[in-house]
Amino acid sequence: MSELVRLTEVTKVYQGGITGALNGVSVAVEKGEFAAIMGPSGSGKSTMLNLVAGLDRPSSGTVTVGGTDLGKLGEAGLARFRRDHIGFVFQFFYLLPNLTALENILIPAQLKGNVVPGRARELLEQLAIKEVADRYPALLSGGQQQRVAIARALINNPTLLLADEPTGALDTHTGDQVMELLGELHRHGQTILLVTHDAKLATRHAARVISVMDGKIVDDARLESPDRTASEVIRVRGEEVSR
Amino acid sequence: MSLKYGVMGLLAEESLHGYEVKNRFEAMLGGTWEVNIGQIYTTLQRLERDGLVRPAGPRGDRGKLLYELSPEGQKALKQWLAQPDSGPQQLHEDIYVKLLLATRIANGDLDGILARQKRTYLQRLRDLNRLEERARRDGRIDLARLVRGALLHTEADLKWIDELSSERFGAERASTK
Repeated sequence: MSELVRLTEVTKVYQGGITGALNGVSVAVEKGEFAAIMGPSGSGKSTMLNLVAGLDRPSSGTVTVGGTDLGKLGEAGLARFRRDHIGFVFQFFYLLPNLTALENILIPAQLKGNVVPGRARELLEQLAIKEVADRYPALLSGGQQQRVAIARALINNPTLLLADEPTGALDTHTGDQVMELLGELHRHGQTILLVTHDAKLATRHAARVISVMDGKIVDDARLESPDRTASEVIRVRGEEVSR
Repeated sequence: MSLKYGVMGLLAEESLHGYEVKNRFEAMLGGTWEVNIGQIYTTLQRLERDGLVRPAGPRGDRGKLLYELSPEGQKALKQWLAQPDSGPQQLHEDIYVKLLLATRIANGDLDGILARQKRTYLQRLRDLNRLEERARRDGRIDLARLVRGALLHTEADLKWIDELSSERFGAERASTK
């Protein structure tokens, strides 16, 4: 695997408060990884994701994605970088209400000057929402809206898929399905960085859990995936045979 | 947890030999509770002594004895099933005592203990997730429910460790101000 993302001594200071600030964060993510960033609210985990996405700039330190130092890009260059390399999935979907599902999915491609309705329909099919192509977001369930948002994030075949609490606004079952989908994309080679506070969901798909607290990385755990038998993982304990 | 009622529950389904009880019991729990045949026979003998099970016929092939649940046994089983689990909460793991000691002993390395325990819980969550998935794939919804219970317990353990770490972090920040 080759390195895709590198944060070096990244600090982010916000005026008027410390919430979400980062303090000297260094971390690298390999191509093909599915890594989860976990931490309490205000710990800086979303800030990390926004810096990697080029949605925000660090106060100091460097952010490199696919060999490009984002600090060296101007606003237009950063916008191009985001369009060409980053897919972003948010907690609250952010679909444009006056466009249909299909039109929403096509926005990033149109910004790039590509008209790829074939690719969009392929994604609709892959994400099992083919039937909603011509519907407006208000008529879709939360799960369907998030699938449309994922399709929109994937339309330009991004190098990196970033997801910030993608299941936060969904019920457990729908959230599981959305995570299953991300797992599937990862199995097909997609690099994914996921911000979540749900350790159950994170560990199901991500083999790496980066813990952030108070603007610092406090742990970086790489998890194993052996096929353990039930008795190796759980032991239901019995009493001694009663007399 | 009671082997006694586990055995009675299986005999409520149908009459079984000692070995069948052992195999069914272990299969029911998906291997999360292994019992030896001696424990099963001892349990059956005591249940028979107490009138809760009885032989379902004469000894058969190689002296094997088929057991069935007696009417008293059925009554006792029904009562046990209806009774909620009460009593003090069981905390089996050493981590609870380690934490208490680490705060008392100089160089108890509380931060190290918390960090290592956190990784262990994350790995356990991953293992349990895979186990739950496998149980569902195999159509063992009952077992998947059991694994889900373990998963949620581990999630709570992890939250607790995070809370303690966050507390430590806050104390450290306050002391450096």
